[in-house]
Amino acid sequence: MPSAIFTIGRSGLAATRRSLELTAQNVANAGNVNYSRRTLSQGELVMTGSIGINAQDSLGGVRPGVVERAESALIQRQARDASSALAAARAEFFALREAESALETSGVFTGLVDFEAALTRLEGNPLEPALRLSALESARKMAGNFRIANGTLGNARNLVQAEAGAEVLTVNELARELAAINRDLVGAREGTSGRAALLDARDKALRGLAEEFAILPTINANGTADVTLAGTPALALVTGASAQSVNVAFAADGTASFAVGVAGFAPAGGAMAGRAGGLVQMAGIQGDLDALAVSVITIANTAQAAGAAADGTPGQPLFTGTGAGNIAVVLGSANGLATAPAGAPAGSRDTSNLAALLATLGAETGPTAGADTLLLGLSSKVSALETRTQGLAVVSSSAEAELLRATGVDLDDEAANLVRLQQVFEANSRVIQVAADIFDTLLALR
Amino acid sequence: MSFVSNSTGSFFNRSLKDMADLRTGIERARAQIATGRRIERGSQDPAAAAQLRSVVRREALASVEGDNAARLGGDLGAAADEVEAVTVLLQRARELAVQAANTPTGTDGRQAIAVELEQLTQELFSRANGTSLTGEPLFAGLSSGVAFTRDALGNVTYVGTAQSGAVPIAPGTAIERGMPGNEVFEFNLGGTPTSAFAVLGGLAAALQGGAADPAAAANAAIAGIDAALDTAGRAQTILGTRMAWTEQVQAQQAERGIALAERRSRVGDTDVAEAIARLQQSLTALEASQAAFARVSSLTLFDALR
Repeated sequence: MPSAIFTIGRSGLAATRRSLELTAQNVANAGNVNYSRRTLSQGELVMTGSIGINAQDSLGGVRPGVVERAESALIQRQARDASSALAAARAEFFALREAESALETSGVFTGLVDFEAALTRLEGNPLEPALRLSALESARKMAGNFRIANGTLGNARNLVQAEAGAEVLTVNELARELAAINRDLVGAREGTSGRAALLDARDKALRGLAEEFAILPTINANGTADVTLAGTPALALVTGASAQSVNVAFAADGTASFAVGVAGFAPAGGAMAGRAGGLVQMAGIQGDLDALAVSVITIANTAQAAGAAADGTPGQPLFTGTGAGNIAVVLGSANGLATAPAGAPAGSRDTSNLAALLATLGAETGPTAGADTLLLGLSSKVSALETRTQGLAVVSSSAEAELLRATGVDLDDEAANLVRLQQVFEANSRVIQVAADIFDTLLALR
Repeated sequence: MSFVSNSTGSFFNRSLKDMADLRTGIERARAQIATGRRIERGSQDPAAAAQLRSVVRREALASVEGDNAARLGGDLGAAADEVEAVTVLLQRARELAVQAANTPTGTDGRQAIAVELEQLTQELFSRANGTSLTGEPLFAGLSSGVAFTRDALGNVTYVGTAQSGAVPIAPGTAIERGMPGNEVFEFNLGGTPTSAFAVLGGLAAALQGGAADPAAAANAAIAGIDAALDTAGRAQTILGTRMAWTEQVQAQQAERGIALAERRSRVGDTDVAEAIARLQQSLTALEASQAAFARVSSLTLFDALR
């Protein structure tokens, strides 16, 4: 029957046009990283009628099937885990690099060395007013450098805390979005473009969450995703259409603690775990810096107490303060520097007390060595973190490339598809033309 | 339909990342050449940064120690000059004492000798209270006041301390600043402590009629002046030795300064030739990579199909 040929040609045209639409959609989304390439499945349409043992086939052309979304749960998961690990290392690296800059550029070490040098110079001529003044001023400069280091370290800490606070809002937004997507997915029909778009949005939300927290997602049969945050303990963030909210709080020493709803937990990965780790390290550095300042205060004041000033009076404290934040010079006049030992007469050029102070300052366990150790420890950590970040970046970018390979759009493929589909479309229209010709031929019979 | 796909997005990502890496390397090499420093921040090479810190500290202290040594050399030189002048002065006093001991020298002659001896005593006193270039007393030990005082009767007393402080001029090396005055001008004569001032003053007084037999008194004083000369000579030897020691330390400091600078340069300075070669290499790679990217990215089927 010529009418069957019409139907076959028409079904071919319809299927080809839908495929062409999807190809156009793929090309349009070639630059969209959250887009998974789509294809149209097709099935042959054959109708078989049978009466008794007499079976008769009737060809019906092609049936446009469902929109298939290139999916790869495993590769998605690999990419998510890799980006989680990278984000953790990178966040900690950035946090500690800030701390490193704070300590290196504030010149704590240089200040200590300059103070030591000024005191050594004073040993050459302990009563010269210019040398005494320069020693006192270098003490003031060193105390100032400690305060600057304290301030810049505090700034670095505030930056990390502010970032953590802001990103918690993003996480809560993503969790609510994922819950809404879950609700919509339950009602979406299998094989529609709408469902594919929802799945794209779901994967995007999961990737966004994985950047901030290591997650343990469960993808259900209907495509919805339940998310548990990995950590101790692991806590559910999104279950079906309901989402919990994450909170972050900061302790007095600057360290962060996280809670889902009211239940506290320590994240196992993601940028938040990196920031939390960075804040713990910064609290340690702050402690070391304070201890260093306290040791300088104690050493200098003990030496002052054991000596006599230029006018023969007992030495008064040189520094005041309880840490790097409030160390300051309290000695009023340069004549008050106790270079001579206790009991020395006024105007004594005896420098044995000064020599003892210098020996304590420059000792293997003294503050100068302490500052060096602090800087060395910190820069070694930063260096190790940088190496780790670079390694994880390679892993993450190869996982991402793998994901794009599996789900991304290849313009060459799409171009080939366009040509192929165009030819198929033309061939189908040719089939209809032939059917019409046949019909006309039949009608023209006389 | 299943096919091996080379996603367009991943091709662009890869190319961009490679080019960004090259650009970072170029930026770093450029900064190294521009600043002359290999390490911008400690984490780039923690061990080298720690070495650099210790070298910089050592250099700062070495520079101060060098200043201290130069100053100490100056002080010791000034003290040695004074002691040398004192030696000349004592020799003149000895000549005068010998002259006075000669019987032919009459009373008038002895009076003249006494006047000259008094002048010499004055000079000796002012030399004993000599100061360094910066005004510090040379022979007062740890005290910053005068070394010797003279009372109304003309008795000279040492008021400085028995020790003079040491100045650190190298790690582990401290050299005494000078000589305390009691070691330069005071000595024991026949078991009795006395001083150059007492010997000269006593002789002058004896020649001016203080003694019944001035010639005998002058004879007796020669032994005292010899002892004073011995003491001053010993002081000069000690000062000379310390000056030589200081000079030796200064020479060592200069050599160590060069070694420290070399070490700092080796650890922390950019090897310019190497950095430029690396920069050129990276630039070539970046240019090639950009050209390749432009060529490959224009190779799409869309361009080929018309």
